[in-house]
Amino acid sequence: MQAPHKEHLYKLLVIGDLGVGKTSIIKRYVHQNFSSHYRATIGVDFALKVLHWDPETVVRLQLWDIAGQERFGNMTRVYYREAMGAFIVFDVTRPATFEAVTKWKNDLDSKLTLPNGKPVSVVLLANKCDQGKDMLMNNGLKMDQFCKEHGFVGWFETSAKENINIDEASRCLVKHILANECDLMESIEPDLVKPHLTSPKVISCSSCAKS
Amino acid sequence: NMAVSPVLLLTDRNLLARKQNARLDKQNDSGWKLFGKVPLRENAQREPKRMQKEYEDKAGRPSRPPSPRQNVRKNLDFEPLSTTALILEDRPANLPAKPAEEAQKHRQQYEEMVVQAKKRELKEAQRRKKQLEERCKVEESIGNAVLTWNNEILPNWETMWCSRKVRDLWWQGIPPSVRGKVWSLAIGNELNITHELFDICLARAKERWRSLSSGGSDVESEDAGFSAADKEASLELIKLDISRTFPNLCIFQQGGPYHDMLHSILGAYTCYRPDVGYVQGMSFIAAVLILNLDTADAFIAFSNLLNKPCQMAFFRVDHGLMLTYFAAFEVFFEENLPKLFAHFKKNNLTPDIYLIDWIFTLYSKSLPLDLACRIWDVFCRDGEEFLFRTALGILKLFEDILTRMDFIHSAQFLTRLPEDLPADEVFAAISAVQMQSRNKKWAQVLAALQKDSREMEKGSPSLRH
Repeated sequence: MQAPHKEHLYKLLVIGDLGVGKTSIIKRYVHQNFSSHYRATIGVDFALKVLHWDPETVVRLQLWDIAGQERFGNMTRVYYREAMGAFIVFDVTRPATFEAVTKWKNDLDSKLTLPNGKPVSVVLLANKCDQGKDMLMNNGLKMDQFCKEHGFVGWFETSAKENINIDEASRCLVKHILANECDLMESIEPDLVKPHLTSPKVISCSSCAKS
Repeated sequence: NMAVSPVLLLTDRNLLARKQNARLDKQNDSGWKLFGKVPLRENAQREPKRMQKEYEDKAGRPSRPPSPRQNVRKNLDFEPLSTTALILEDRPANLPAKPAEEAQKHRQQYEEMVVQAKKRELKEAQRRKKQLEERCKVEESIGNAVLTWNNEILPNWETMWCSRKVRDLWWQGIPPSVRGKVWSLAIGNELNITHELFDICLARAKERWRSLSSGGSDVESEDAGFSAADKEASLELIKLDISRTFPNLCIFQQGGPYHDMLHSILGAYTCYRPDVGYVQGMSFIAAVLILNLDTADAFIAFSNLLNKPCQMAFFRVDHGLMLTYFAAFEVFFEENLPKLFAHFKKNNLTPDIYLIDWIFTLYSKSLPLDLACRIWDVFCRDGEEFLFRTALGILKLFEDILTRMDFIHSAQFLTRLPEDLPADEVFAAISAVQMQSRNKKWAQVLAALQKDSREMEKGSPSLRH
């Protein structure tokens, strides 16, 4: 087997209101399990996921699971630093958490941009879709419109409990980050430091062709 | 093929013992005997009764009807036997006999195994005895400590609490039966909260819950400045967080025995301090207090605890002041663990990443509960300084592992500490932490940093958020 010769390390944020299931999504994604007994996250928790993206590419995702209480806003902004992408999560059974989505998105965009000044890629997750009777999900078109208006690269109905769409959402986000990175390479002089790359030698844009 | 490990022998002990038992039974009805001497060539000297029975069977003469007990015995004889037991047997008649040499070897092996097993048995017994003695000693010392706390210290609290003797006893851990009492006294009641005030706050909280659930969120003019939406959010958050407070204890969740108490304390607090409201982390603190005090006293301790400068800074999310605390922590971090400090700096692992959870929940979420209570014991004695000293103790305990980890693994490790942290090791590490930096104590370092940051704010107001 040929050793992969490209390795990317990306810091991803998982944000959204309290109790929408951020920790559960991460646990499902990284440890393939679910429990209804997670403790509240205070501050920040971490997880690492390694993706074998294609035969030559390994992607390491550093997931930052950030406490959801609004009050922590000032404190957690330092956690945004150098992130390459984010999931914003809401709970389909609690409308207020969807209303907070734009607040989270604006907060993120005001505190974090890519080195080229563009906003980072963000995927919207409508979690707990297994608990059904969703009021807005019936209307995919409206959600598409919402994402377009607010600059999300995509949205997914997810369930950490039933393992629905979490891998798909992550693939979507990583695809956009890889594509963004190619743009960055083009716009930035090659001798500049790229903190998001683990191996600075690698300058390749194969992922652009894929996206 | 006969190399049976002694471990197997142990696991087969029951079978073997049963077989021996059956045999001994036959011989002389002697009692149960674990590794009693087993006559090796038993078959060579079959007991007369059995020989007679065999003879009778062959002769077709009915003997006495076998008693049920005999039946059992007979069945035992035909049960599959352990491999070990097979060593003792001669080969079945239809196979060539074991050479004498081999038979001798097997006997020897078997005897060695028995000796080993006996040794292990003895060792295990000694270990258990020692364990029991230690437990008795611990229990006795706890018993003695309870007496000392109840009869000597608590009645003379004001004069005794800061004495050398009491401080030493305190460090060993407060016995659970007096813990709540000692915490209450040590935390004090500067706010002069009475049980009546608690009842009033609780009644208000209940009123609000009722109006919330009936849909009418009337804006009460008396709490102007804190919007109805804020209050609503606070109460909603409490509901969400209660079920996520010590979920594996299953006592604070809906329907659990302490659910209502936890709900009451947090709700009453949002009415008592609407300017602070509910902040995540509070549910853990209230829960630990509930486990040691009754509701009204827990509320008094809770409110006074949160009123301490460090807790106020954190729960009001006073970011500037929190950073000052982190900076003070780093002064002692560098002093105590320069190598690890440099490693963390290099990896950009800042204190906010692990300290926030530890300080907000006073370690009750990250450490095993009994260990967390011991940390609380000394925190009640020494104040905020001990929270940061504990953090340094934990870092010290794991210094070697942490120095070898990269950012993400250190961060994961510190935000999810091992679940089986032994209390004595943690306390040994904590006691090795020096809370003095260039002759300055914690409070002095903190005050100096606070002064600096105030002057910086004054000097460049543009830096303020």
